[in-house]
Amino acid sequence: MNFNGTFTQVIHELVEQVMPSLVIVRGHRFGAGAGIVWDANGLILTNNHVVGKRAPIVVLQNDGEYESRLLARDPDVDLALLSIEATHLTPLRPASVSPRVGELVFAFGHPWGQRNTVTRGIVSALAFAQNRHGDTLPIVRSDVPLAPGNSGGPLVNAYGQVVGINAMIVGGDQSVSIAVSVANDFVNKVLVKKETESHSRQHTPADVI
Amino acid sequence: MSKTVLVELSDALADAAESAGKATVLVNARRRMPASGVAYAADLILTADHVIEREEDITVHLEHGTQVSAKVAGRDAGSDLALLKLESAAAHVAEVTKSPARLGQIALVLGRPSTNGIEASLGTVSAIGGPIQTGRGGMLEKYIRTDGISYPGFSGGPLVAADGTVLGVNTSGLANGAALTIPADVAWRIAETLAKHGRVKHGYLGIRSQAVEIPGNTQKALQRQQPSGLLVVSVEKDSPASKGGLMVGDILVSVSGVPVFHHDELFTRLNDDVAGKSEPIEILRGGQLQTLNVLIGER
Repeated sequence: MNFNGTFTQVIHELVEQVMPSLVIVRGHRFGAGAGIVWDANGLILTNNHVVGKRAPIVVLQNDGEYESRLLARDPDVDLALLSIEATHLTPLRPASVSPRVGELVFAFGHPWGQRNTVTRGIVSALAFAQNRHGDTLPIVRSDVPLAPGNSGGPLVNAYGQVVGINAMIVGGDQSVSIAVSVANDFVNKVLVKKETESHSRQHTPADVI
Repeated sequence: MSKTVLVELSDALADAAESAGKATVLVNARRRMPASGVAYAADLILTADHVIEREEDITVHLEHGTQVSAKVAGRDAGSDLALLKLESAAAHVAEVTKSPARLGQIALVLGRPSTNGIEASLGTVSAIGGPIQTGRGGMLEKYIRTDGISYPGFSGGPLVAADGTVLGVNTSGLANGAALTIPADVAWRIAETLAKHGRVKHGYLGIRSQAVEIPGNTQKALQRQQPSGLLVVSVEKDSPASKGGLMVGDILVSVSGVPVFHHDELFTRLNDDVAGKSEPIEILRGGQLQTLNVLIGER
């Protein structure tokens, strides 16, 4: 087997597959993070802490800049859902099974402002973080060296499916990503709420802006 | 979905972590941070000596969270290894590699620092070396260094090859806090000694020596290429060396048939195997090669 050629080729293909779904989420005043195209019609998932007071600008891979609408944000899971007026986007697929310790993962983001950077590692541990209410949040720890600018970007497996949303850099060497199951729940809750509201024309609840 | 070579590698790594993870245990023998260990036998856990801060009330957590009481079966500060005896023979025994670590091979650094499960990082074998004097007054004949990350609580855990076999035991206790791996063959041999005797005997001669160059004309008497030996500069009274006939001015050139060039090699030769045994020691005396049989001391 032409191992070297095949291996390099496969990694290249993985990057080509995932990269179109990576966006920049830029605040109006300072800082930028990453985001993930979550569906073809303009849903963008990112970290809550990447989003400032106003809905941020989303920059796609084709350099198209979009004013976003902030659909929902939740500091307890550090996630925010944005929407932009765009169609035919390439969304990422979430992994359907929980990751395994030892499996290969790749973080996509813009660490230290370095645009479209891919960083490799393995899943170090499947753990839980506690939020301010004492609730436990499933997280994926990895030995991928994450940096500011990776926040909100995807951690994908060898299939290119999302296993986590890169979230924060805690003390030590282990990087933390929010488990994709949390992201699925968050997005579904927002969409269901949106759906019921559009039918019943209720007032917007406080946590949905 | 098609299984690319990337997926195959990823699966293999996760499989390796899973299978070696079964033999990787949590060792609770110090106050704050638990450490890791690897099952040498169903009732024996090999771990790092420096993580054993108490000899009472030691517990070991096995793969499915089963907690077992353990006692110290033996420890060797010099190599930073300790063996724990479990109250029940319930551990999943580690599979040791048949082929020693190679430079550049990928390896998983594994540990079980919490009851949440196994943890891992990926690295490559970046150096294989030895012998080195350890920071704990011992001698390690061989070591492995990797660029994988040893997270807190990883000491005592295994370095694992991509096929899930154990390449060595990781510890941060030997080189001023930097992670080092004791190769499996060395670690398992020490474990065997610890299981039998509870400690590792160290051979003892009772000499002071200095490495010196062996002049070209003297090398002829040696009948081999050996650039240096150890000049005996003092012999302790009533020591094994003195009883065996070693004298100041002798140049020690081999122990048990193995040439010694420097102190490190002499230190390595005076190991558990020769302690208490009579061993041939070659010396150069007056330009002539002589062999003395010395009863190696033990301490």
